[in-house]
Amino acid sequence: MRKPLKIKTKGDKIDVTVPGEKLTVGHLHPLTLVKRKIEEIFQAMGFSVIEGPEVENEWYNFDALNIPKDHPARDMWDTFYLKNGLLLRTHTSPVQIRYMEKNNPPFRIIVPGRIFRHEATDASHETNFYQVEGLMVDKDVSVANFKAIIEEFLSRFFGKQVKSRLRPSFFPFTEPNFEVDMTCLVCKGKGCSTCSKTGWIELMGAGMVHPNVLKAGGINPHLFEKDGGWQGFAFGIGMDRLAMMKYKINDIRLFYSGDLRFLEQF
Amino acid sequence: MVFSYNWLKEYIKLPKPEKLAELLTMHAFEVEEIKKVGKPPHHNKSKRRGAKKTKSALVWCGGKDYILDIDVLPNRGPDCFSHIGIARECAAFTNSRLQIPKFKLKEDKNLKTRDFVAVEVKNKNDCLRYTARVIANVKVGPSLKWIQERLKVCGLRPINNIVDATNYVMLETGQPLHAFDLDKISNKKIIVRRAKNGEKIITLDNKRYNLDKDILVIADVKSPLAVAGIKGGKKAEIDKKTKTIVLESANFDSRVVRKGSKKLGLKTDASWRFEHGIDPSLTETGINKAAEIIQNIAKGKITSGLVDFYPKKVLPKKIKLDYRYLTKLLGLKIERKDVKQILKRLGFKIIKEEYPILIVEIPTFRLDISLPEDLIEEIGRIYGFQRIPAAFPIVSLIPPKINFEIFWEDITKNILKESGFTEVYNYSFIGEKEAEVFKGAVEIENPMSVEQKYLRPSLIPNLLKNVIDNFRYFNEIKIFELGKIFIKKQETRNKKQTEEKRMLSGLITGDAFYQAKGVVDSLLNKLGISNIWYDEYKPTPEQSKISIWQKERCAEIKVDGQEIGFLGEISPGIFKKTKVVIFDVDFEKLIKLCSEEHEYQPISQYPAAIRDLAVLVPLDVKVVDVLNKINVAGGALVRDVDLFDIYEGEGIVQGKKNLAFHIIYQAEDRTLKSKEIDKIHQKIIKILEENPEWEVRK
Repeated sequence: MRKPLKIKTKGDKIDVTVPGEKLTVGHLHPLTLVKRKIEEIFQAMGFSVIEGPEVENEWYNFDALNIPKDHPARDMWDTFYLKNGLLLRTHTSPVQIRYMEKNNPPFRIIVPGRIFRHEATDASHETNFYQVEGLMVDKDVSVANFKAIIEEFLSRFFGKQVKSRLRPSFFPFTEPNFEVDMTCLVCKGKGCSTCSKTGWIELMGAGMVHPNVLKAGGINPHLFEKDGGWQGFAFGIGMDRLAMMKYKINDIRLFYSGDLRFLEQF
Repeated sequence: MVFSYNWLKEYIKLPKPEKLAELLTMHAFEVEEIKKVGKPPHHNKSKRRGAKKTKSALVWCGGKDYILDIDVLPNRGPDCFSHIGIARECAAFTNSRLQIPKFKLKEDKNLKTRDFVAVEVKNKNDCLRYTARVIANVKVGPSLKWIQERLKVCGLRPINNIVDATNYVMLETGQPLHAFDLDKISNKKIIVRRAKNGEKIITLDNKRYNLDKDILVIADVKSPLAVAGIKGGKKAEIDKKTKTIVLESANFDSRVVRKGSKKLGLKTDASWRFEHGIDPSLTETGINKAAEIIQNIAKGKITSGLVDFYPKKVLPKKIKLDYRYLTKLLGLKIERKDVKQILKRLGFKIIKEEYPILIVEIPTFRLDISLPEDLIEEIGRIYGFQRIPAAFPIVSLIPPKINFEIFWEDITKNILKESGFTEVYNYSFIGEKEAEVFKGAVEIENPMSVEQKYLRPSLIPNLLKNVIDNFRYFNEIKIFELGKIFIKKQETRNKKQTEEKRMLSGLITGDAFYQAKGVVDSLLNKLGISNIWYDEYKPTPEQSKISIWQKERCAEIKVDGQEIGFLGEISPGIFKKTKVVIFDVDFEKLIKLCSEEHEYQPISQYPAAIRDLAVLVPLDVKVVDVLNKINVAGGALVRDVDLFDIYEGEGIVQGKKNLAFHIIYQAEDRTLKSKEIDKIHQKIIKILEENPEWEVRK
């Protein structure tokens, strides 16, 4: 191993161009840095950070989220099952149900965590990776509010002014549903090869929380006649994806490789 | 799903393919790809176009076409797995009129359908509707070119004019159909029933399948003729000798078809549509269209009368929409007239309006609409989600609750980073080899590979792997991971459980036991934990056999009486590459002991004095025992005792080692006089030499 350079200064003059001594420093994982930044931004907007178990049961992971058994919607998630009948959570949404069961609205939370998908791995797919979901429930929370909050988050996260675009989508646990695109950071929305000349990058899914899901969490959905009722939005975004965009990393597998040549860059 | 641009143009005026794709993506479904197909039109149009102007005005445009690969959302399968469905969507967001050509059937009054075929449905829950028609004296042959072309553009293989007609109608309307050779059906009776265990079928593509009672079949009195909604059988196959056909257009329960499709491992264009659900009203439309096409192209006489088993007619739903809820949910006020126009364009009927309530009737082809929120989504997407401006919510200023688990995690990681460690994230899985050494692992039912067959019951195996992977490039490795492990828990009375907890594990390569100990001390101190001590790990003979730790080179980390983790060298039997030292701490236990409380210790104004002391002790004497003796003998005026050397070997009696300490004397209220210090120092020496084998060096 190369010995660190340790030179004692001699005489009156110091050669200021000799390299400085190298310090042994430690490094935090880029996903830890990204997770902290996300938590910081949302906490500044009054969101609490909640975490939950990685091993789940079918009710919390699917049924409570309006994804019944024997329904084609289940095909949207490739699931790891354990021999004892439990499963590895395919999203952090079950934690939101658990939170709703124990807390009354109004509230706003984000739920970061490791999730699992039974998929072949490649540069953009892994069997375990990280997601952060958000949930805000109040009397008047609307699509317009979601847009403002997500644009604020994205702008602060990337350090640039970012706009969002909503397109129709489908998730069993929200209605209305959206795919959320953001301004392409490379060309600032003008169109380039990164964004296939559209000016937009596909980023995440979101929607207004489905009344069945609110009910599963023990919360009254909108009952306009009785003027009770709550409504809210929910979203889910891949943390690995955000980290890859922020640091210009091109292979998700690097995050779980333990390769020090990669990790020591952070 | 693939759609033909020219075919869509038949029903509605469309913008250019690129513009259409953009509109579809923004208002309905993402268009993945647009592909150009076909040859440019020829000059001799009358000969080449091959258009057969039938009564239903089906015209092939000929020449260039575009294929649109549209990502129809899974809940819109019922109405949009068809060209008419997509055209209807386009009509809604381009505000143009849909033109579906009308068809006219010519039934033969002399032939009655019920004289030709009988239908029995055993269970109305499996089959919500079954319609059948008979066409006699058909001439089976190849289809017209334009039908073949359309099928090919959409990825289907042309077979003969009968089968092609059924596929054509499926692509057009979304209703799958099937045609049987009536003469091959025993007793001319069709029975819709569950298969019996042990029954078999050979399908049209000559494959054999074993059936059971979970699978719905179309059968005659002798045997199954088709797997309902999935695939036809060879028995009643249409061939060139077929004279009389039975057309089937039915609505099978989506769950039954899905289950059957999964069980047989058989997925078809028909089963895909049934799985997503279909409007029962569509069966009638489908069968009439198909009959008309067959009559025009294969000739034949359509017998009069539609066999229609439809016990529970599906009626359109009614939904109450409150305009105020629409505004509140979207966060945008849309003009009432715009709302109503959008609903009408989509085929919804306004039954009643009395502000703020609107009562809307939902057409039966929209199986996905049942709640006001569904209507709000329709209105929002056709109006355009872009038109909703971003606006911050007005909410109460409640600061978020501190998540203490994350708080201590962050502090822990920072401390380890400052100590020179690099954080790693490893997979939550381990393989068979590791599971043999690290016992108690939870097994995965459907692992992706042998290396990911179990959930990790410890962070250590993957940390060791990290060393092997990095050893080529790095001589000294200091890594840590804070992550979840999973252990098999005793199953109590059908309660399946897996214990899940966080562990904090760190690794240093080389002869680094005391270095690691220093790190652990520093970490626990900074977390506000005191009363830390290290106890020799003494495993039972049984534990020894499976232990990963090197014998007599491992400690249990204890706080007061509780063990919170281990610190030691890994046995070379487990890991040969190089010597490694690991600390493995139960983070859940650790968190409960953390405290932010730090009391400031006043610094004494009075100077400290240092005296050195060296003592020769037998090799097996523990340093902690000597330290304790010194502290007890010295009392309150001994502020600190620092071991600065351990020496054995040359110049030292065999079987003994030399321990050298700095003893720091200090009082809080006065400067200690030399005489005072000497007195205490002598007391310490006397106490140490009480043991005959211990000798203080003078």
